[in-house]
Amino acid sequence: MLYFSKWKTLGIIAAVLFGFLLALPNGVSSDVREKFPESMQRTVNLGLDLQGGAHMLLEVDLTSVLEQALDNELEAVRSAFRDAERLQTEYLRVENGAVVGRIRKAEDVERAMGILNDLSEAIDPTALGSEKTTRVEKVGERDFKVTITEANIEAIQKRTIEQSIEVLRRRIDPTGTTEMTLAREGDDRILLQVPGAKNVGDIKSRINQTANLSFHMVREESNSERAMQLAAQGKLPPGAVYYLQQDSPSGLIIQKRTQITGECLKNSSEGLHPTGGYPIVNFSFNIKCAKIFGELTSRNLGKRFAVVLDKEIITAPRINGAITGGSGFIEGSFTLDSARELSLLLNAGALPAKLIIVEERTVSAELGNDSINAGKIASILGLIGVAIFMWMSYGLRFGTIANLALTINIMLIAAALSLLGATLTLPGIAGIILTIGMAVDANVLIFERIREEAHNGRPPVNAIETGYRLSLAPILDANITTLIAAVTLYFVGSGPIRGFAVTLAIGIVMSVFTAVVVARLMTATWLRSRRPKKLPI
Amino acid sequence: MKDISLVRFLPKEPKIPFIKGRTIAAILSTLAMIASVYLFATKGLNYGIDFTGGTVIEIDTGADPEPDKIRATLAELGFGGGTVQNIAPPPDSGVDHDYVRVGIPLQPETEETGATAQQDALNAVIAGLKDSIGEFNIRNQDVVGSKVSGELREKGILSIVLALTMVLLYIWFRFEWQFGAGAVAALFHDVILTIGVFSLTQIEFNLSIIAAILTIVGYSLNDTVIVYDRIRENLRKFKKMPLPEVLNLSINDTLSRTILTSMTTLLALTALYFLGGDGLRGFSFAMIWGVLVGTYSSIFVASPLLLILKLKRGGKISGEVPAEV
Repeated sequence: MLYFSKWKTLGIIAAVLFGFLLALPNGVSSDVREKFPESMQRTVNLGLDLQGGAHMLLEVDLTSVLEQALDNELEAVRSAFRDAERLQTEYLRVENGAVVGRIRKAEDVERAMGILNDLSEAIDPTALGSEKTTRVEKVGERDFKVTITEANIEAIQKRTIEQSIEVLRRRIDPTGTTEMTLAREGDDRILLQVPGAKNVGDIKSRINQTANLSFHMVREESNSERAMQLAAQGKLPPGAVYYLQQDSPSGLIIQKRTQITGECLKNSSEGLHPTGGYPIVNFSFNIKCAKIFGELTSRNLGKRFAVVLDKEIITAPRINGAITGGSGFIEGSFTLDSARELSLLLNAGALPAKLIIVEERTVSAELGNDSINAGKIASILGLIGVAIFMWMSYGLRFGTIANLALTINIMLIAAALSLLGATLTLPGIAGIILTIGMAVDANVLIFERIREEAHNGRPPVNAIETGYRLSLAPILDANITTLIAAVTLYFVGSGPIRGFAVTLAIGIVMSVFTAVVVARLMTATWLRSRRPKKLPI
Repeated sequence: MKDISLVRFLPKEPKIPFIKGRTIAAILSTLAMIASVYLFATKGLNYGIDFTGGTVIEIDTGADPEPDKIRATLAELGFGGGTVQNIAPPPDSGVDHDYVRVGIPLQPETEETGATAQQDALNAVIAGLKDSIGEFNIRNQDVVGSKVSGELREKGILSIVLALTMVLLYIWFRFEWQFGAGAVAALFHDVILTIGVFSLTQIEFNLSIIAAILTIVGYSLNDTVIVYDRIRENLRKFKKMPLPEVLNLSINDTLSRTILTSMTTLLALTALYFLGGDGLRGFSFAMIWGVLVGTYSSIFVASPLLLILKLKRGGKISGEVPAEV
């Protein structure tokens, strides 16, 4: 038990040295660290609770997305039937999560079903045997029902969440400089973590804006006071919609239909009006939309068009000349900041669904700093206390062995955290402190066993050998059970609790290694050099 | 060089009749458990927002806060059920005034208030307080909605149940079933007493307390398994010795280890309790309590239970035995 081959000894020393090298960058100031080679720059990742920052769990409103998908399907069916000659329906509407309708003439049914089936496309046209987007059913004589397939619902949800993540990334971090996390969590949530965030209110307002941009023609009715009154009451001619104007008590009646949406936008930036000198938002369209916009403006000279953002009219200028270059600017009552904010939002695009903050935890950098300091002081004092206690209990030799093992243990925890890229949280520090207390347990078990065996009359080498051999089973049993608790904690727990589980689990594994392997090597080396007649224990 | 090892003063072969005290211990434990359950049923736990949902903000007004003024503002805003609490700054931060923690209970998420009810409440309170007490720094803000808090609650219970089950399986696999049952009974004992003490003190019960309880489970088990291991070994070694005596001998054999490990763990945890700052106080308190209860239960609950469960000798009991005695 106490004999270590040369290779084994070298292996153990190499492992400890490797741990030392990995842990070292954590122990020096950042100035010194910068002089290290790149492979030695890695330090323990500090959690948001220690460095300050914002953690938010956002829920994606998928129900409205699915409702929208059904509405789109309804529109698609309606326009396909309109394009097909003389195909008329008695009714066509969304009902119980499906598009339902009845064909007027029985002889048209066959043709209608064909059209409906053509509307159902493969979800992923590139994949062979991909499922269809909709399922078409014939109900009775002339009725039909179109539902969105499960697979398509899943695809829509996935796409919505992916798009949301992409839009959020561009909105919150347009320059890509902060180390933020944006990840899908569960079925309908997005986890957003911004380390070191200063202005949480700013982040939140960017999340909440939807930034749906569109251009509409203003209808003639807007000039009639009576029509405006009716519109305000919700009595609108078909195809028209009444939106309020920014910074104005009244609104305008505009055409619901639009061909120019946020997707047309190629780029947008804040700027100053070429003659007025007041802030404006410049925009340029992609080629396709530039053409449409050019035709629209040349056909409607002298008329007004409305720039609508999130169901609010920002501005409604008169068209003085055809805009064919595909670029222009939006005037409104902007400040430089609000113009910059708007162009940022337009560039990022619209969120495909509403996001609700269901959990928010933000910590200021000062509080994080206070926590690190408190944790450091508690760890160091805990460590010193335990070390003194071990020396007092086991005397200089065995006490030193236990304390060296403890120090190596903590160093290896730091090394493992750096290597794995695990995040150290405040509860994680608690886990380390707990490990400091418990790490000596394995050594205590061994030493007590040795003491017992020596007391039973065994010679020193034999007592130590037996002590190590007999304590192995209890050490493993005891630590495996704690490890089970730690692993359960990791998989079921959330957030900072996981940080605690990680340090605890790493601590357990490392403490078994240091007590059973490293401390044993130290004891064996000591035994061989001294060959004591009596154990100082 | 002469070593002064304190372990020399620990008796090498203690003969404390622990097993004789099992009746008193059983009565004591039963009473404590009944008291805990009673407290839990009547007073309940002071759940934190992790489990109830709601909003907590900690602010620094730059001077000692005026809790009454803050309370009045909350009442005015319609958050009468809110809590206001002074928080002492950490010992060496150089800050000479208290911080203040403001808690707002979960706002109903109805159709009318919308799903953003918590965020709206947070904004209203921050704006309202800025009006009444002037500018302040927000040190942290936690907002947990009803859905998330419900999930955290479920996960919390699930993690404790799951951990206990896994542990039971492991011990069952490694020992006789009586050991598994005894260990889990001792764990339940510890968990119930911990919940009891949190009900008594009304210290906030949050996610980190769940972590603490799970660690107590791990620690107490550590202790129990060490004693069990020795029982198993002594059963093989002393084939003729009556079971109560084997149990007593095993507890005494491992006593010095139990004391030393408890001491070092308590030392580290005490440092954490006093110096780890406000965020870890409840957690370290739970752990200190857990170490004390866990040590007690491995001696007075887990081992005597083997007698009641009628542990049979022979069977699966194995393990390494020293060649000579």
